Amino acid sequence: MCNDKVFVCRCQEVTVEDVKEAIKDGATTVAGVKIRTHAGMGLCQGRSCGKIIARMLSEVESPEKITPGSSRPPARVAKISEFLEVK
Amino acid sequence: MNNKNINDTDVIVIGGGVIGTSIAYNLSKRGKKVTLFEKYDHARGASGSSDQLVLMQSKKPGVHLALALESLKMYKTLEEELGEPIHFRQKGGMILIENEKEMEIMKGFVEKQKKTGLDVDIISLDEVNRLQPGISQDIIGATYSPMDGEVDPIALNIALAKGAKANGTKIVLGTEVKEIITEGKKAIGVETSKGKFYASTIINAAGVWAPLLCEKLGIEAPIKPRRGQICITDEVDYFIDMPILSAKYMMAKHNPDLLKDAPEMIAKLGIGLALSQSPKGNIMFGATREFVGYDKNVTYEGIGEVIRNAVTYFPQLKDMSIIRTMGGLRPFTPDGLPLIGWTEIEGFFMAAGHEGDGIALAPVTGKVVADIIMDGKTFVDMSGFAPNRFSK
Repeated sequence: MCNDKVFVCRCQEVTVEDVKEAIKDGATTVAGVKIRTHAGMGLCQGRSCGKIIARMLSEVESPEKITPGSSRPPARVAKISEFLEVK
Repeated sequence: MNNKNINDTDVIVIGGGVIGTSIAYNLSKRGKKVTLFEKYDHARGASGSSDQLVLMQSKKPGVHLALALESLKMYKTLEEELGEPIHFRQKGGMILIENEKEMEIMKGFVEKQKKTGLDVDIISLDEVNRLQPGISQDIIGATYSPMDGEVDPIALNIALAKGAKANGTKIVLGTEVKEIITEGKKAIGVETSKGKFYASTIINAAGVWAPLLCEKLGIEAPIKPRRGQICITDEVDYFIDMPILSAKYMMAKHNPDLLKDAPEMIAKLGIGLALSQSPKGNIMFGATREFVGYDKNVTYEGIGEVIRNAVTYFPQLKDMSIIRTMGGLRPFTPDGLPLIGWTEIEGFFMAAGHEGDGIALAPVTGKVVADIIMDGKTFVDMSGFAPNRFSK
């Protein structure tokens, strides 16, 4: 079923092929794939694709060496007006 | 084991950010055999946590601005040269002015910038509104330069690395350079987490980590990490037509003393507005300027103030959402200029300390370094960038 055109990161429309290309270019971490493809830079911030990318990386790198993607606040999409209410 | 000449290389570059990869690209283009070591991966330091501005207006009038203008020229053909998308676009840029005191400071700045060759003017609020709708009507004017631009800094970093590789550069990721190997007063190689490697020229382009390698050699390199926190919105319709800064940004960057009359948190966190929109629609805005060592985490206080500040200039931001915040470390130097040139250790070259100007200056830094190493000179007098200028 799997083909190279399947989306890994739906937010940024990054395909299996794009991720494979990033790994070929030297990415060994989820963050490395992110900078090369934009996977994980969209609305969900890699919460869905991060695991798939880590699994793909495990084919070339031993799993204990694969660092998870960086997770930065906010934990979910946050309205800017909400920050203004809290002093 | 004797590892001498194990990798048959002329030059070792330390650091895989935009500066290191630009140097590797330029040297390899001119025929040098280059090996680049990077502790983690590309875009893991300042290059990957920057906004996307290629600003001329924020450079110090004089040789700093002259270098930036040369870099700008190079940007115009860089995408074609590298054959990779870097999304450079020159759309102009504005610095928003809130009061008469800021107006005086900016007028002085503009005058000096014009003398260095920058096309820049003070414009009225009406003109600001015409160029960029949505700005608060509480400002009294702005400076505008049609020469300012934007680029995707991460794409630039990757494209320079690919360009360097295509020219034969060996890029070694995930490999830490622990120290410089010397023989007397001469650098002859590097000790890395994967063994020793030798070359006659070693270039330190390790950004905020550059001084740590100098320390071990007894070389003074007063580069300090200066944290910047920025916010990124989700993708919204095209709204911001050019990079926008505030006059307070210029003060926070060049002379924080001028912020002493500003609200307490703005002065404390060194907040100035820098805002732009990516081709995909994300609006990025920042930033703080803080000395907190190597801590690049974002703080609730910092993000809160960055947001409050941005909303005073762009009230419409209130209705938008942020998907990500980011903290990064700019390599600050006491006089705002990078350290570019030979050190007192023969064969050991510095190219670090660009603070928030690394993206704008990356192309020209690569060229200048390659010129100095290959020809012993370049097109401008680089004595103001001498790495030993602080120890004199």
